Amino acid sequence: MRNGHSSAVDQTGVPVYRGTQAAAATRESSLEHYSSSTTTTTRDAATAHHSLDKNHHSKKANDSDNDDNDKDKDSSRLTKFKSRRSLPWYQSRELQIVSAITLLAFIVRLWAIGYPDSVVFDEVHFGGFASKYLRGAFFMDVHPPLAKMLIALTGWLFGLDSSFGFKEIGMDYIEPKVPYIPMRLMCGLMGVAVVPMAFYTVRNSGHSIHAATLAALLVLFENSLVTQSRLILLDSPLILFTAFTALAWVNFHNQRQNPFSDDWFIWLFLTGVGLGLSGSVKWVGLFIIATIGTSTIGQLWDLWGDLKITPRSWLNHFIARAVCLIVVPVAVYMLMFEIHFLILRNGGDGDGFMSAPFQMSLGHSLKDSPLSVAYGASVSIRHQGTKGGYLHSHPSVYETGSKQQQITLYPHKDANNDWIIQKKDGSIPEGLEYIKHGDVIRLMHIFTHKRLHSHDHKPPMTEDENHFEVSGYGYKDFPGDANDEWRVEIVESRDEESGKFLHTLDSKFKLVHNNMNCDLFSHKVKLPKWAFEQQEVTCMRSAVLAKTTWVIESNAHPSYPADARLVNYKKPGFLGKFLELNKVMWDTNAGLVESHPYDSRPSAWPLLKRGISFWGKDQKHIYLIGNPIIWSLSTVAIVLYVAIRGLLFIRDKRGYNDDFNGLREYYELSGGFFFMAWTYHYFPFYLMDRQLFLHHYLPALYFAILLFSVTFDLLCRFIPNRIRLIAVVLITAIAVYSFRTRAPLTYGFEWTRTECEASKVLKTWDYDCNQYPDTYAQYTVNAVANTTPIENTNNNDNNNAIIDAFERINDELVVSEGEGVVDDVADVAAAAPQEAEAAVAEDAQITDPAESKLHDADIDPTFDFEIPVDNDVDENAEVNEKSSA
Amino acid sequence: MGLARSHAAVVDVEDEEHKATLATGSESTLRQRSTGPKHTSSADTTKDDAPKKVITSVFTQTEKYNSLLTLAGLTAVAIFSRFYKIYAPDEVVFDEVHFGKFASYYLRGSYFFDVHPPLAKMMLAAMGYFIGYDGHFLFDNIGDKYNDNNVPYIGLRALPAFLGAMTVPLVYMTMREAGFPILTCALAAFFVIFDNMLVTQTRLILLDSMLVFFMMCSIYSYVRFYKTRNNPFSLKWWSWMIATGVSIAMTTSVKMVGLFTVATIGVAVIWDLWELLDIRRRLTMQQFLNHFYARAIGLILIPVVVYLFWFYVHFAILTNSGPGDDFMSTEFQETLKGNTMADGIYVKYGDNITIRHKDTSVYLHSHKHNYPLRYDDGRISSAGQQVTGYSHEDPNNLWQIYSDSVDNTKIGKQVKDKDVIRLLHVATSSWLLAHDVASPTMTTNEEITTYSSEEDGSRFNETTFQIILESGGDKLRTMASNFKLLHQATKVAVWTHSQKLPDWAFDQQEVNGNKNIVQKSNLWLSDNIEGKNASEIDQESVKAVKSRSFILKFLELQGKMISHNAGLTESHPYQSAPIEWPFLAKGISFWTENDTRKQIYLIGNPLGMWVAIASLAVIIGVSGADLLSRRRGFYPLNQDVQKRFYYATGFFFIGWMFHYFPFFLMGRALFLHHYMPALVFSYMVLAAVHGFIFVEGVDGPISDPGPETRPRQVQRAIVPVIAYATGALLMVIHLGSFLFFAPLSYGTSAIDVAGLARRKFLPQWDFHFAK
Repeated sequence: MRNGHSSAVDQTGVPVYRGTQAAAATRESSLEHYSSSTTTTTRDAATAHHSLDKNHHSKKANDSDNDDNDKDKDSSRLTKFKSRRSLPWYQSRELQIVSAITLLAFIVRLWAIGYPDSVVFDEVHFGGFASKYLRGAFFMDVHPPLAKMLIALTGWLFGLDSSFGFKEIGMDYIEPKVPYIPMRLMCGLMGVAVVPMAFYTVRNSGHSIHAATLAALLVLFENSLVTQSRLILLDSPLILFTAFTALAWVNFHNQRQNPFSDDWFIWLFLTGVGLGLSGSVKWVGLFIIATIGTSTIGQLWDLWGDLKITPRSWLNHFIARAVCLIVVPVAVYMLMFEIHFLILRNGGDGDGFMSAPFQMSLGHSLKDSPLSVAYGASVSIRHQGTKGGYLHSHPSVYETGSKQQQITLYPHKDANNDWIIQKKDGSIPEGLEYIKHGDVIRLMHIFTHKRLHSHDHKPPMTEDENHFEVSGYGYKDFPGDANDEWRVEIVESRDEESGKFLHTLDSKFKLVHNNMNCDLFSHKVKLPKWAFEQQEVTCMRSAVLAKTTWVIESNAHPSYPADARLVNYKKPGFLGKFLELNKVMWDTNAGLVESHPYDSRPSAWPLLKRGISFWGKDQKHIYLIGNPIIWSLSTVAIVLYVAIRGLLFIRDKRGYNDDFNGLREYYELSGGFFFMAWTYHYFPFYLMDRQLFLHHYLPALYFAILLFSVTFDLLCRFIPNRIRLIAVVLITAIAVYSFRTRAPLTYGFEWTRTECEASKVLKTWDYDCNQYPDTYAQYTVNAVANTTPIENTNNNDNNNAIIDAFERINDELVVSEGEGVVDDVADVAAAAPQEAEAAVAEDAQITDPAESKLHDADIDPTFDFEIPVDNDVDENAEVNEKSSA
Repeated sequence: MGLARSHAAVVDVEDEEHKATLATGSESTLRQRSTGPKHTSSADTTKDDAPKKVITSVFTQTEKYNSLLTLAGLTAVAIFSRFYKIYAPDEVVFDEVHFGKFASYYLRGSYFFDVHPPLAKMMLAAMGYFIGYDGHFLFDNIGDKYNDNNVPYIGLRALPAFLGAMTVPLVYMTMREAGFPILTCALAAFFVIFDNMLVTQTRLILLDSMLVFFMMCSIYSYVRFYKTRNNPFSLKWWSWMIATGVSIAMTTSVKMVGLFTVATIGVAVIWDLWELLDIRRRLTMQQFLNHFYARAIGLILIPVVVYLFWFYVHFAILTNSGPGDDFMSTEFQETLKGNTMADGIYVKYGDNITIRHKDTSVYLHSHKHNYPLRYDDGRISSAGQQVTGYSHEDPNNLWQIYSDSVDNTKIGKQVKDKDVIRLLHVATSSWLLAHDVASPTMTTNEEITTYSSEEDGSRFNETTFQIILESGGDKLRTMASNFKLLHQATKVAVWTHSQKLPDWAFDQQEVNGNKNIVQKSNLWLSDNIEGKNASEIDQESVKAVKSRSFILKFLELQGKMISHNAGLTESHPYQSAPIEWPFLAKGISFWTENDTRKQIYLIGNPLGMWVAIASLAVIIGVSGADLLSRRRGFYPLNQDVQKRFYYATGFFFIGWMFHYFPFFLMGRALFLHHYMPALVFSYMVLAAVHGFIFVEGVDGPISDPGPETRPRQVQRAIVPVIAYATGALLMVIHLGSFLFFAPLSYGTSAIDVAGLARRKFLPQWDFHFAK
C-alpha cells in the first residue's frame, strides 16, 4: 500500500533482477525518505523506469525524477528548501531570536512562582515523595523515579526538611521553611527549556525561521503548559524530555547522508538517552518510544529496499540503531531504578506492596530458620496470595459472629505472629517428629493460648455463604475441640522433599479445616476499627488456590539439632527487584479506575472541553485550562493534515501525480513525523480504562503545535517574508491576548466575576465565577476581614456538645454566606473536598497499602452471579453450584 | 502484501502484459528456479503450448466427481460426529439453561432480555414449535432432567447439531472454491469435524454452532462473489453479493461477535474497491462509484434491513410482560401486556411517599440519630441528623412532598418534571437538606442531612431540590418515574452507593450529594404512596397497552444489550484470557454427574490446535521472508503460488485475526468458546499451509472469465505422494487426539482417575473427579 508505482513493476510479471543491472540502476537519489509516513516514490519510480513499465504517468514521474537528479546530483532535492547558514553561529539571527524568546519564557513561566505559598494539587504527592527520598523510606508510586528524584535532589540541595510531609493541599510552606521555590523552579526551568526546543525542532526540520518562531511562541503562551510547569509536577520534565528526544531525532535524521559519522552517532545516542529519560519520568514516555520506533522501522525498511546498501552495511545500520535506541534507553531506565533503590534503603509505607524477599532488602531482616518443621516448633506463617503479612492474633475479640478472639493478617513482625504447632490431639510429641503432607495439626497462639479455630459463623466482613469465621478459641490447658484441626496440604514445593515434608519457606501449603472442608483464606478486605483495620482471615470453601496458600517464614524449636539446615529468603538482586517493582507499578496503574471529579476522556481533549481545578483559596483559583486559540489552531492543523493527506492518497490512486515539485515530500517528511507523534501520544489513551486527565494530552498538544507551525509554513510558502512576519505577529498577538485573558486562572491571581464570565469560551468549563468578587477592590477588604482571628473549630471540639458545634458551624456558615467573607470554618468545609481531590487526584499516587484494595483485581471466584442477563456470567453460577455440590 | 495484490488484481484484465511476461519469462523462470528451491512450477513447462482459449473450469469431470464424493463422505462423518448419542445426557447442560429458557419464553411470548441478538434463539424456538414443544419448561438448573419434564430436547439439540455438521461441507466448499486441491480441502474439513470443542459446543442447545454456520456461509458467499468479479453487475455477481450481505447479517443477528465477520468481509471489500480505484484498472469515476453503490446496497443496506427484521420479529413475538421488563425503560414496558407500569399512580403534593434508589434498591431513610461530629480520619461533620439508605420497609422511609412555596398552595396538585420540591421526613419532622460539608465516607461528595422544621427556616434555600424525571412522562408517578433529586443551591444530586456506614449508622448505606449529576446511578423512583394504592384510586383508569415505534424499541434494546455486555466484568472460575486460547491453556466444565463420574468438559483438540497455531506462525514467517526478499529484488515464490498464498490463505488468516484479536480489547469475562470462529479459520489456514508446503503449483485460473478476459493459462497443481502421506499423518494425529478426549466431549462414558490424569496435558485443565 505504500505506493502505487511499485505495483507497476510487478505488473509485468517479470521478477526484475536488479543485481546485474545494479550499475545502471544506481542512479542515485541521494535523498532517502525516512519518515514512515512519506511515500518513497522516487526510488520505486526509478526502478520502474528500468522495468517494462508502460504506464505513461509513471514514465513521466521517472523523467522528472531523473531530471532532478541530473541537476543536483549531490544535494538533496529537499535541502534546497533549507536555510543557508552563512553567519557564524553567535551572530546568527536564529540565536538572537531564540534568546529573546527564551528570555520571555523565563518571565512568563517563572513569574511569581512563589505563589501560592502552600501545597497545590499533586504537590501533595511529588513533594511528599521528595521527603521520603530524603528519609530513604521506601514508597510505591505508579511512576518511574527520575523526575521525583530530581525534585528530591533540588529539595536536598536547598535544605528541605524531610519531616515536612506535604500531607494535604493548602499546607503552608512559609512557616516550616520549605524550599518550595527552588523545587518549583526546577520544574519551571524545564518548562522554559521546552520553548527553544520547539524552535529548533521546527527549524532543523528545514522550516523557515518564521514557522520556528511561531512554534516557540505558541508553546510559550499556552496556559496549560505554563500552569503545569510552575508547580512541583512530573509533566514538565516529561514534556521536556519528549521534546528533547524529538529534537535529537530530527537532528539525527538530518545526518542521514553521513551515516556513521560522529554527528550521526551523537544524535542517535542522544535520542536513545532522551527515550530513556522520558520513559523514566512517566510511562507515557513509552509513546515517544513508539514514535521513534516506528520511524526507525521506516528507515530500516527504506534502507533495506535500497539495493546500493549491502546487507552488511544494512546490518551495521540495524545494530547501531538497536544499541542506541533499545540498549541505551533500557540502561538509562534501569539506572534510574538502581539509584532509586540505592536511596530508598529503609522500609516505608510502600513495603506492603512488595513481596517478602523484596522487603528483606529494605532494612527488614529475617533470621535464618531451620528447614524442617517439627511438632512443637514455634512458627510464623505468611500469606502468599496477598501482601497482607502474617497470620496474627491478639487479645481482642470479634464484635460480630462468635465474639471470639480475632484472627487477622498483620503486615509487620510481631510476637503475636508466633504459633506453636501441635498434634491433632493437642499434644506435643517427645523428640522431633517432622510434619508431613496430609498431617492434621493444631495451631496454638503462643501469647494468648488460643487455638486457630473455625466454625459455622459468618465472618466479620465477607457476606458470602462460602466463607466462615476463623477465630482464636480456648484457654491455657484447654483440651481443644475438633474445630481446631487443620490439615496441612502442600500445594507447591521447591523440591521433592519439601513436597512430602513441611519445610520452612520451601513448602507452600494450604490449611484445610478438617470438619468443614474449607481452606484458611485471606483477601484484601480490611476489618473495622475494632480489629485495627487489619486484614480479614476466613475459612472458605472452593476458593482459588492463590489466596489459600501460606508459607512458614520462621521456625524455632528448642530441640532442633544444632547443625540443622538453615534457610532464608534469597535476597533479590537488582534485576529481581526492578522487575517486581515494575510489575507492581503496572498492576497498580491499571487499577486506578476510580472516577474523579475532574477526570475526562480522550475524546474531550482536542476540543478542550474542561480543565482541572488545582487549588482555590481566598477567592483565587488555579485551574488547568489551555489557551483556546492555540488549542483550536493545533486541532485544525491535525484535521487539515488528515484531509490533505487523504485527498492526495486517493488522487495518487487515480493516477494524478501531485508532487508539487518536491514540495509535497518535504512537508510530508516533517509534518508526517509530527502527526505520527501526535497520533502516538493521543490514541493509545483510548485503550486505557484508568482515570485520565486533560494534562495527559499535553505531550500530544506539543506535537500538534509543531504540526501547526509546519502547516503555517506551507500556507506562507509563497508569501513574501514581510507578510509572513506580519502573520506571525498577528497570530502571536491573538494567542497572547487569549493567554492574558485566562492568566488569573493560570497563576492564581486576583480576578473579577465579570472578567471570569467573559473568559468562558465553552460552557462546559467548570470553574466557578461566583467565587470572584465584583471588583478588585474587594480583595483588600476581604484581606482585612481575614486578619480578624476567628476561633478554629478544629481546636476546641473536645468539650462542646454535638448540638453546640452544629449550631455554631451553622451560624458561621450563614454568616459567611451572607457577607461573602470566607472564614475558617467555611474553609474547613471547602477544603475537605479539595483534600479528597488530591487524595484521589490525577495519577493517584497510592501511598497507603490499604488503598490497594482498590486495585485488587482478584475478586473471589465464588461470587453469586444473580444477574440473569448474560449467559456467560450465568454459566458461572451454575458451575459453582456444581462444584459445591 | 500490496505488491502481490495489485498484481493479482490486474492479471486478468491486462493480458497484454501477461503475454509480455511469457515472452520474456523463460529466462526469469529459470532464474527463479535457482533461487526458489521449492515450487518449480509444473505449469512452466506447459505454458507455451497451452491452449489460448477462454476456459471455464480447470477441473476434469473425474475430479469433480471425486470432489463430490469426498464432500459427501465428509458430510456424513460430520453428521455422525454431531449426532452421536445426542440424547445423552438427558439433563440440562451448561448454557442450555439460558438458551433453552429463552426458547421457552419465545413460545410463551413473554418478554425477556439477553445480551445477544435474537435470531439463533428464535430459530431454537421455531424448532421447538415445529416439534410441538409448548415452552412449559424453564431450564432452571444445570442437571434438571428433560425426560421427567417431558421436554423434546433431542429435537432442540438437533438444530444446532445439524448446522454444526453443515459447517463442515461449507468449509470444504469454501476451500475448494478458493482453488485448493481436494486433499487440502479434505484436510481442513477433517480438522473441523474432529475438533472436540466444535463437537461439544454444537451438540447442545447453544448459539455458537449457528454463529459458525452463518459465518462460514458469509465466507463461502464472499469467495463465490469474488470469483465473479470479471463479470460485474451480472446476475451471478449480484446474487452472491446479496448472499454475502444476508449471511453477515444473519451472523450478526446470532451474536454481536458476527461483527468480526462483517469486519473480515469489510476489509476485503475495501481492499477490492481500493484496487478498483486504481487508474490502471481503467474504470471511470462513474463506474467506480457504481461499484461502490452496489456494494453499499448489498453489503450495508441489505444486512441492516435483515438485522432489523429479526428484531422486528422478536418484538412481534414477545408481546407479554416477562422477566426482561425491568431492564427496559418505562415507555418500553408500557408496550407489554400485563406490565406493572399500569399500577403507578400520580404523586401529589402533600403525599407521603417512599423513595427507592434504582440501582441498589434501598429506601431513602432518616432517623433520630446524628452524624458523629468527628470522623475517624479526623474530619468533622455537621453533626446533623443522619440520612441513609435502608433496605427494609420502615416508617422512617416516609417523606412528605412539599413545594418550594412557603404557603403550600400547591397541596393536592400533581408533581411535575422540573418542579422544585422540599421533602419532609415524616417521623422526625425535619427537612431533607444538602450542604457543602464533606460526606462521611467520600470527601468529594456533599453531606446530606435534615434540618428540623421547628427551626427558624433560615436554611430554607438548602432544603430545596429540583425533581428531574428521566423517564415515565412529565409527571411524577409511582413505580413508573425515574427521577433525580438535584439540590438547588449547590447543584449536587442525591445519591447512594453500596458502601456501608460504620456502626454509628447501624451499617446502613451512605447517602450523599454527588457532584457528577449526569451519572445514571443518581436515579430514584417513588415506590408507593402511603395509604394509597392504584386499585383504590385509579380503579377506572386501567392503562391500555401502548404502542411504540419499532425503531425506538430497537434502539433502546440495542443500547441496553451493548451496555450490559460491556458490564459483564465479574470474574468467573472458568473464564480465560484470549492469549490462552490458541494454546488451549484452559477449558470449561460444562456438566458433571457425580454418581457415574461422567462429565462434559469443553476443550479443543489439543494436538490439532497446537498444529494449527504452528501453521499460523508459518504464515507470518513466510510472508515476512517474502516481503523482505522482494524488497531486495529477489522473488522466491512462483507468482501464482504467491498470489494464492496471499489471496486465499492470507484471507483466511485475516479471518482468524479479526475473529481473535479484538477480544484482547474487551473488558468483559471471556471464555474458551469465544475462540470457536477463529478456530475454524485456523484449521483452514492449517490445511492451506500444508498445501503450500507439500503441493507444487496451484490450480488455476479459478475465477469466472469475463467479457474482457483474454485467454488464460491453465495451471495444474501436482499433489505428490508426500503430500498425501503427511496429510494422512496429520489426520491420524488429529483423530487420535480427538478420540482420546472424546469421552470428555460427549460425556457418555466415565473415565477413571488415572485416565483423567493421563488426559491432563496441562496442569490448568481442571477436570472434575481427577482425584
